[in-house]
Amino acid sequence: MRLPDVGPFGEGFWRSPLRGPWLASVLSTVLLPLIAVCALTGFASHWAYDTDVGANAVWGGAAAGNGFDLYGFDWPASPPWLYAATQGLHVVTGVAAIPLLLAKLWTVIPKLFENPPLRSPAHALERLSLVFLVGGALFTFASGVINIQLWYPFGFSFVPAHYYGAIVMLAALLVHVGLKLPVMVAAFRQRGLTAPLREDLDHTEPEPGLPEFHTSAPHGAVAPTLTRRALLGGVGAASAGLALMTTGQVVGGPLADLAVLAPRGRGRGDGPNDFPVNKTFAAVNIPADKVGPDWRLLLHTPDERRAELTRDELLAMELVTAELPIACVEGWSTTQAWTGVRLSALARLAGVDEPRELDVRSMQPGGSLDRSTLNRGQVTHPDALLALRVNGADLSLDHGYPARIIVPALPGVKCTKWVGKLVFS
Amino acid sequence: MQGFRERYGAGPLHLLALLASLAVVAYALSRSLELTSNPERLLVWMGGSIVAHDFVLLPLYATLGVIAAVALLPSGGGSRLRIAALNHLRFPALASGLLLLVWYPLIGGPAERTFMRNSGLTKDVYLDRWIILSAALFALSAAVFALRYRGLRRGT
Repeated sequence: MRLPDVGPFGEGFWRSPLRGPWLASVLSTVLLPLIAVCALTGFASHWAYDTDVGANAVWGGAAAGNGFDLYGFDWPASPPWLYAATQGLHVVTGVAAIPLLLAKLWTVIPKLFENPPLRSPAHALERLSLVFLVGGALFTFASGVINIQLWYPFGFSFVPAHYYGAIVMLAALLVHVGLKLPVMVAAFRQRGLTAPLREDLDHTEPEPGLPEFHTSAPHGAVAPTLTRRALLGGVGAASAGLALMTTGQVVGGPLADLAVLAPRGRGRGDGPNDFPVNKTFAAVNIPADKVGPDWRLLLHTPDERRAELTRDELLAMELVTAELPIACVEGWSTTQAWTGVRLSALARLAGVDEPRELDVRSMQPGGSLDRSTLNRGQVTHPDALLALRVNGADLSLDHGYPARIIVPALPGVKCTKWVGKLVFS
Repeated sequence: MQGFRERYGAGPLHLLALLASLAVVAYALSRSLELTSNPERLLVWMGGSIVAHDFVLLPLYATLGVIAAVALLPSGGGSRLRIAALNHLRFPALASGLLLLVWYPLIGGPAERTFMRNSGLTKDVYLDRWIILSAALFALSAAVFALRYRGLRRGT
């Protein structure tokens, strides 16, 4: 059934000569690999949380509701930059995909107002699936971008929403790619892979559309004011610019200066403790006397307390220094020289020679980060430390004084700060 | 088989693929609604993201683009010079708008309190940086336009 040809439903409403299946196909060709990398590294991050180990369940309580736990094996503790790389890629590709996604949606917007709106049951079903594709994609990208800027306006739990929102998008995307592949092939056959990029303004003609498909090619286009080369160049530059900004906070060093608008490009000075902080001491409400001279590290097995150490006693043990990155789930990382006691040495002190798991308890009251469980490979790695010092100075309160966990390739949120108790099993 | 095609509008594989995909979508949606606090707000966000993009953001920037084109180009198309002027205006405008869209929580300030508290940073620089960056983009675009000016005049 046809709607009246009014407004956006009318044939002559969408008049840009640049829209059409070729432009949509080019944008998709660039967008798809970015989304693929972003999705894979996103699932890698879920894996890195080792949600099936100990108290690591990220939502819905122990053992229930941890997403697709198909991984079945532990997140490795080497190479040390593994999580910095995967999560950096996740955030960089995600942010870089935004201009491409917007351009793609601009290209195909006439299809939203297709007339007649429903041609057949097949068409209706496909359009229903597109609601989930567009809604899932916009939601997943928007929630991610909002979350890395530490704005929490959602009122719902971010992690399951972002995780399952991505699955909604990917399920709809997979079938969309399958169904549209013939359109893409036809568009590239008709116009050439890159030939339209060489047209100057005088030779920029409207896309003719494809005889066997309904496409976003215009009816009655206006004269062009832009070449396809300029449009795609602009979108590409925007994407590259955003990627560069976010790369600055992943790689750090001189590149950090490029992170002008990215949230974590800024240190606080040049001192040993002035690298970026995820959560300051002031933000977590630990009473000051708990981190004073009366602080003791408690070493436990699941059944009993095995030892109690002061900070001086810890400093008198064999100390190890390791250059390790700490990488945040928000996509930024920073490499520092950490000094502390090996976790394996503390395990032996607790009488556990071959630890399977380590449950770390912070003095932080409540919150999701007050506790985390490390897997066997993480506890036994020679560079897995209970750090007491960084860059030759005592840890600052903001970086977890009196002691914090630092383990190669462990997500930053699991490098628990203000450690009070270690339970080896 | 031909009867199916006529009634459904595509082959059976089309139907199977879409049903499988929609089943995964339904599963993922139900899991997210079950696991999150305030599931109704999640639905509002998912539906709202479509409305916000398709019916607010896109019409907004498209309308601004049309207004700029109508203001700069005489009806029936403009000279090369005028078209170039339009483009040297809309490129920095779109870039600046994109930066605002992506980094709005930091630039616009809703994230300010949590961000400052959690990061320990004391100075909110993002609004200033966005303004400076936007000004630089417009200035750069104007400078390139000035360099092209002669060639563009000759071209008309």
